[in-house]
Order: sequence, then C-alpha cells, then structure tokens
Amino acid sequence: MSEVVLKGLKKVYDNKVTAVHDVNLEIKDKEFIVLVGPSGCGKSTTLRMVAGLEEISDGELYIDGKLVNDVPPKDRDIAMVFQNYALYPHKTVYDNLAFALKLRKEPKDVIDKKVREVAEILDITQYLKRKPKALSGGQRQRVAIGRAMVRDPKVFLMDEPLSNLDAKLRNQMRAEIIKLRSRINTTFMYVTHDQTEAMTLGDRIVIMKDGYVNQIGTPQEVFNKPVNLFVAGFIGMPVMNFFDHCQVLLENGKYYAQIRGVKFLLDDFQQKALAQNNVQPCEIVAGIRPQHVTVGEGELTAKIEVSEMMGSEYNIHARSGDDEVVMLIPTVDLTADVSMGKTINFTTRPSLIQLFDRESGNNLIWYDAESAAKDAPVCKRYDF
Amino acid sequence: MEKKQQVQKMALRDTTGDKIFYTINAIFLGILALIVLYPLYFIVIAAISDPDAVLAGDVVLYPVRITMEGFAKIMERKDVWLGYRNTIFYTILTVILSIIVTVPAGWALSRKTLPGQKAFMIYFIIPMFFGGGLIPFYNVMSSLKLVNTIWAIVLPAILSVWNLFMTKTFFQSSIPDTLIEAATIDGAGSFRIFGEVVLPLSKAIIAVMALYYAVGQWNSYFNAMIFLQNENLYPLQLVLKEILIASESTVGGSGETILQQYRLANQLKYVSVIVSSVPVLMLYPFVQKYFAQGVMIGSLKG
Amino acid sequence: METKAAKPAAPAKVRAPKKRMTKEKRIRYFKDNSPYLLMILPAVIVVFLFNYLPIYGVLIAFQDFMPGDKILSDSTIWVGFENFERFFSDPQFWPLMKFVIGFPLPIIVSLMLNAMKGRKTAKVLQTIFNGPHFISLVVLVGMLTLFFGRYGLVNNIAAHFGGERYSYFLESSAFRPMYILSSNWQDFGWSAIIYIAALSNVDPQQHEAAILDGATRFQRVIHVDLPAIMPMVSVMLIMSIGGLMGVGYEKALLMQTDGNLAVSELISTYVYKRGLTGVPDQAYATAIGLFNSIINVVLLIIANTTSKKFSENSLW
Repeated sequence: MSEVVLKGLKKVYDNKVTAVHDVNLEIKDKEFIVLVGPSGCGKSTTLRMVAGLEEISDGELYIDGKLVNDVPPKDRDIAMVFQNYALYPHKTVYDNLAFALKLRKEPKDVIDKKVREVAEILDITQYLKRKPKALSGGQRQRVAIGRAMVRDPKVFLMDEPLSNLDAKLRNQMRAEIIKLRSRINTTFMYVTHDQTEAMTLGDRIVIMKDGYVNQIGTPQEVFNKPVNLFVAGFIGMPVMNFFDHCQVLLENGKYYAQIRGVKFLLDDFQQKALAQNNVQPCEIVAGIRPQHVTVGEGELTAKIEVSEMMGSEYNIHARSGDDEVVMLIPTVDLTADVSMGKTINFTTRPSLIQLFDRESGNNLIWYDAESAAKDAPVCKRYDF
Repeated sequence: MEKKQQVQKMALRDTTGDKIFYTINAIFLGILALIVLYPLYFIVIAAISDPDAVLAGDVVLYPVRITMEGFAKIMERKDVWLGYRNTIFYTILTVILSIIVTVPAGWALSRKTLPGQKAFMIYFIIPMFFGGGLIPFYNVMSSLKLVNTIWAIVLPAILSVWNLFMTKTFFQSSIPDTLIEAATIDGAGSFRIFGEVVLPLSKAIIAVMALYYAVGQWNSYFNAMIFLQNENLYPLQLVLKEILIASESTVGGSGETILQQYRLANQLKYVSVIVSSVPVLMLYPFVQKYFAQGVMIGSLKG
Repeated sequence: METKAAKPAAPAKVRAPKKRMTKEKRIRYFKDNSPYLLMILPAVIVVFLFNYLPIYGVLIAFQDFMPGDKILSDSTIWVGFENFERFFSDPQFWPLMKFVIGFPLPIIVSLMLNAMKGRKTAKVLQTIFNGPHFISLVVLVGMLTLFFGRYGLVNNIAAHFGGERYSYFLESSAFRPMYILSSNWQDFGWSAIIYIAALSNVDPQQHEAAILDGATRFQRVIHVDLPAIMPMVSVMLIMSIGGLMGVGYEKALLMQTDGNLAVSELISTYVYKRGLTGVPDQAYATAIGLFNSIINVVLLIIANTTSKKFSENSLW
C-alpha cells in the first residue's frame, strides 16, 4: 500500500510569493496521477514538495499513512525522473543505476541483479558500460527511468520527463511509460504541461492554474465536465470554441441556451441540474468543442477562412460574427462544401453545450463549490 | 540592367574595402606579434652568444659566436638552485592547500541553502575593495609568528577571493541543480555529493585554480622580500632580483668599471631569465585553454 | 446565481504547534546544511587572518604606535588624525598624488583578433600575445634593465646610429613610459581574453544580417562587435578606476633608482619605505595606506555611480 495524501499543501517563497495554495489531493495506491497546467501554475513545486526537494510551508504530506513533512528525500521511499534526466555524466550507465543502491549499502550481487533486471526491462543492457554522453535522448530517458526503478520506490515522481524529446520520440516513450506502468505497478505522480500526455497517461488528472487546483478528475470527467472556463480551454485539442454574450433563458419552466440568437432546448439532465442549482436566466459564455460541431444543418452560420484536409477529418477555421469557430469534421460525415470563403450552417447537440457563468467563469452545471479552492482567482475568460 | 551593374559594382567595392581592412588588420597584428616575440627571442640569442658581442651590439637578429658558458656559470650558482628548489616546494604546497581551501568553499558558496549565504558573500567581497594595507598586514604576520618562516610565503597565498568567486561561478553555471537533487533523492549526503558527483565534474576548474595559484606563487617576490631574512628560505624570484636588478640601482663609478661589471654579469642575467621562466613558459601553451577558460568562467556575472 | 451555500471553513490551525514546527524546521535546515558551513570554514579563517585582522590593525593609524605595542591596551596613546595631518603637510604629499592610466590596447586587439580571416592564425597570435603574462615582475624588470641599461640593446642601436648613450633607469622622465609600455607589453593579450570571450558569444546571424544590410567588415566591427563588449568595457573601467592609486607598487619598487625617485615613488612604495625600512614609523605609514585605501573606495563608488547614471552597466 502506498497512498499519498496532500492536505492543504502550501508553498510560500521568502514569506512573499505564494507558489502553491492549499493543494488537497488523495492519491490512491497504484494510481497514476498527472499534474497539468501552464508554466508557473505550481505543478512542479507541488511535486518537489512531495519529493522533499522543497520545504513545505504549510499543510501535511502523508506517504503510506506516515507524515513525512520533515523526512529527508532519501527516506521518503520515492524516486524521481527529471526533465533533463540529471544523469551523472562521469559515471557509466551501470553506475548511474547502481548509485542509489550502493548508498543504501546493498550487497554487490543484489545490486548487480537488480541493475541487470531493470536494464533488461528497459532494453538498455548493451549500453551499461557507456557514459550518458554516448547515448541518444531516448536512451538517456530510459536510464533516468531505470535509475528510479531499481529502487522499487513506493512513489514514482516524474517531472516533465518527455518534454526534452522530439515529437516522434515523445509519442513512443509515452507508450512505453504506459507499458512500464503495468509492469512496475506502483503509485505515479507525473507533471506535464502537455494536455495530451495528461489525458493519455493519467488515471486522474489534476489541473492547476496560478498555484490553485482547478479540477481533479478522470480524463473523461475533465473533458466532458470541465468546472470552469480555464479547464474547458486547457483540456482538449483543438481548443474549445467559446461564444461570449450568450444567455440562459427560462421559459415555461424549461431552460434554453441562446447562442447568437439561436435557441437550444437543453436536455433533461441539464434541465435537472440547472433547476437544482436554482439558476436564473443570465449572461453566459457558451462552449462547444470542435469535435461536437455538425455542419450543413442548423441556424448558426459561419464563413470559412481556412479549411485543412487532415486525412480522416477536416480542420475548419471559420468566422461567426466576432467569434472564431474551429470545427473538426470527420471526412466521412461531410456532405457540405467547405472550401474557403464559403458560408456554412452549423449546429451542435444541446447536451454538448457547456454553460459558463460570465461573472465567475464557473460551469453552471459542473462547478462544485465544496471541492473548489475557496479563494482561487476568477477565470473570466479562457486565457493563460 | 544598369541597376544590376551598380549592385555588382558595389559588391565589388565592398570586397576591396574588406580586403584592405583584412590586410591592415593582419599587418598590425603581425607587428604586434613581433613586438611581443622579439624581446623574448633576443634574450635567448643573447644568452648563447659571446658576451663581448652582445655588449658591442653585434647580436641583434641571430646569435654570434655561440657559447654555453653562461649556462655552465649558472650551474655553479648554489643560491639559484636553492631558490629553485624552494620555489618548487612553495608552489606545490600553495597549490595543494589552495585547492583544499578554495574548491569546497566555492561549492558551499554556490549553494542557496548555505545558511547565511548572503552574509558570507559580503564577507568575501569586502576584502576585494578594501584592505588594511601593508603595515597592519606585516604586524599580523609578525604577531602570528610567521615572519621568517615558509608559512609567511605560503599561507597568505592559499586563498584569492577572485579565484573563490570564479570557482563559485563555475559551479553555478556548469553543475545543474537537478543533478544534485537526483543525488539527494538517491540518498547521498552533502559530503558524498561533493566528493562523488561534484568533484569528478570539476576537473576544469581545479586545473585552472591550480595553475593560477601556481603561477602566482612562482612569480611572487614581495612577501618573500619583506618576511624572509634567512637566505636559505629565499625563493627563486628573490635570488633573481639580486642577480638582475640589485646591481643596476647601485651602478656607480667610472664608465670602465661599469663596462667590466656588465661583461661579467650580463651573460648570467640573460641565462637566469631563461632558466627561471622556462618552466612556466613551456607549460603555458599546453594549459592555455584552461587559463582562458578560467577567465571566461570569471567573466560570467555571478 | 447563488449556487451552493459555502461550507463552513475548515477550523483554523492551532497557532502554537505551528510555531514549534518552524523552529524545528530551522534547526533541521541548519543541520542539513551544516556540511556547507564546514566546507566554507577554512576560507573564512584564511580571509579573517590575512584580510580582516589587518583591517583591525588599521587602528594604529590613530595611535602613537611603536613596533611591539599591542593595538588595544591601557597604555595605548590615541592621537586622532595627527598622522593624517602630518601626511597632508608632508612635502611628499603632492608628489605622491599620481597614478598610472592604462591604454585601451586590449580592446582594440580583441576586436582585431576577432575580425581576423584565419581562425587558426588568430589562435596562434592569441597564444603569443598571452605569453608575456607569465613572466614574473622580477624577470620583466630584469629584462627592462638589460634592454634599457647604459650598454643594453636600445643604447647599442642608438649608438649605432650615432645617438648618445642614455641611462634610462636614472632618468625620471623615462620611468613612466617604461612602466606603462612594459605593462602593456606584458598584459595586453591577457586582458584581451575577457573581451574575446564576450565577442565569441556574438550571434553570427547578427553579422549575417549586417552583411545583407551592406555593412563592411570594419563597419561590422564598429556596429556589431564593439557594442557587444561595451558592458564588459565599462565594468573593467570601473574596476581599474577603483584600483587607480593602488597600482603595481611591486613593479615600481623594482624599477626604482635614486635617479627616478621623483616619479617612481608612489603612495604604496612610500608606505613600504616608511613602515618597513630604515627607522620604521608604522603608525604614519599605516595612516598613509589607509588614506590610499579610502581614496580607492571613493573612486570606485564615484566610477560606479557615474557608470550607472550614463549607461546600464555597473558593478552593483
């Protein structure tokens, strides 16, 4: 068992700058948790507090039920993979892997066995005698992961481990991490700024901004039920389309979303949720994912500015009034003419429309005041 | 068509201008190289020429009546060889102690977690710009009972604040923080990190520091002059000072005796310049890249 | 729009244990980092002994001090600024107020080396230029006496062309040119390294852009290379102004003869003579030295402030 519990974790630098506000997170045993957010959001600082590389200013950190605030890193039973690998340049791959075990005064044969085992798994056995300088980026990355693996840590910490690799290698290593995970079966904490990595790797994703946690949830949850404008915009590629100055209307006991004068009758679930939250008619920002747009029907119109044929789908940039609308249309579904300069009709299913309060930026349906950080700054628009 | 021609013409004119620039540049630097090299060359040819020819001004471009007499003469000078031996000993001692003092201190100073790091920085910066001066320094040495011992030569030379800051800057700029963090997580303590991770990566700075301190000690004479009375402890530079310079300032008497003095002493002077400078000058081209590297490290603002 | 009632805030943390924690933390922090204190300790001691103790010893400048006296004791006789007043009225005072100014040769040489066509030739030249730096002062002055002595090379050549023999070392007027030229000869290459390093960091694309703009090589030196080393130039200038009055007494002392004393006596050589040779007057010599140090610090501050005012560059 190795859960990690962060209770009100806080980081204040020099009694002035607060980098992390009150992070509450319970990581279950063998869970893969991803911390994601734009740079400066506090995700790395949070990870480094768990590692013991940063002093915890306030709050409590439990690993495996034990309070470890004041436990030095080496006794926390954690291992970490760094963005720039941080391999010892003067040691061979073998010695890089063996260093931590040597420091623990493990017997030589045990060290040897473990190092070879790990090297086998990571397919770096033939490089054991080389120095890191003689390895490619991907191989170095494996050594860095191997160095963490030999220690059988309770918690595996990874700080942007793939961001120094080129795009192709990154995809490959991402797949390998997924494979690796099924083999070593431990708790992972993974930091990245790349939402694709977060979505593909994480059991649960923690989305942070300006030192505050905005949402914690599974990839499906954060994609389908974003709690505010920031999460909605950060998760998903291409970025969600936002329509400002729209309205929620209440007519004859039924809620409608009105986008650019077109009324959408919301579906039963939305009706119920809005009623439960006692939502009154108001100004909203409406959000529609590019994947959820249908063209060739409906009353909304847009003029196509750029139309990119991507093979299985069309990536269309169009202008609708003041708003730029991005649409991702599967090629097989496409019947309309989407060449540049054409004006097309488009629509979406009402159940897929996200409704954000214009004042607070919070999702009218999914925002949960109980779990949200109390004093987090309002995210009025999608911007970071 | 006309325009194209003009462009071509301009390009042509530019290259001519550049050619002139490159030529003038090369000539100037060439002359400068001659100015640097000729005095050194002259010392060599004067040392192996007949002293009479040197005095008469016959030796200008090449040696005249080659003789190794001067070298034979200096072999007989016990004081020169004693000075040589002393200097080698002082230099080795200084280098060892200075590395022991400078490198760990530079590492500690480069750590943000060093308690009171800012205070230490100020502590080391002040002496760079303000000092007590010669007399209080002498009095301190005398009350520490170091006068007329080799420690008066060695101890004040084992730490240069400049070198300390250069070392600190090296550590800050060339040892990534994450490497140290990785070692911390691997379970290494501060001393082990220093010994097993930092030191193996610091060969360049250790070499530079060793060379800086070595050259400094090899070439210094002033502290020896004021602190040493025992001639058996004299370093080479102090012996050289007597051979090369002392006689000059006491020159007196008629022209003939001066000439006689010159005849006897000059050859020895040329030879001793060579004998004393050869170790450093021979070493220099091989270690030049390290020296230059050192200055570059120091030039990074840190 | 009132969504859900805010839940009561979590009970505020008890203050006392938190305070205890930070104290514990401080102790732990200190313990964790005490190895660094051990590593820095030898350097602290060396600087204390050989830099700070002498600063304390400066107190004798305000005393009637005899060699062997304790710096602070019951019998210490304080005389205030008497020693300084003596110095200001010393006939030597004004003659000592002089300094030696360097020449921008290193800057020019670095620009020229950088603008050379052949990289290899430039490297060889640089190696040659750096060489004299490693010659000791004793040898350098020894070489000067050999070259400029009455029967040295320079006089031999002069005599060959019918000139008169001239004892350069006994003439006041020859001291300064010899001093400055030999210093330049010895160190221009070495001082250039720092600029060459800065020049090697200039983005080649900046040069390419300038070429496309039609700049000649010379224009590129002026408009691309020179601005790149200006920050370094100002820093070096400030430093040299700070050390203006403390220049090379070791060398001046070696070059001194009775004949050139009028020019070659600097404050620092004077301090040496009054404090350590003949009948030493240590308190007086210390006062002069202190005066010199203070002037240097003041000059440094003035230079730095001026530089800060007129450009972006300063030491602090």
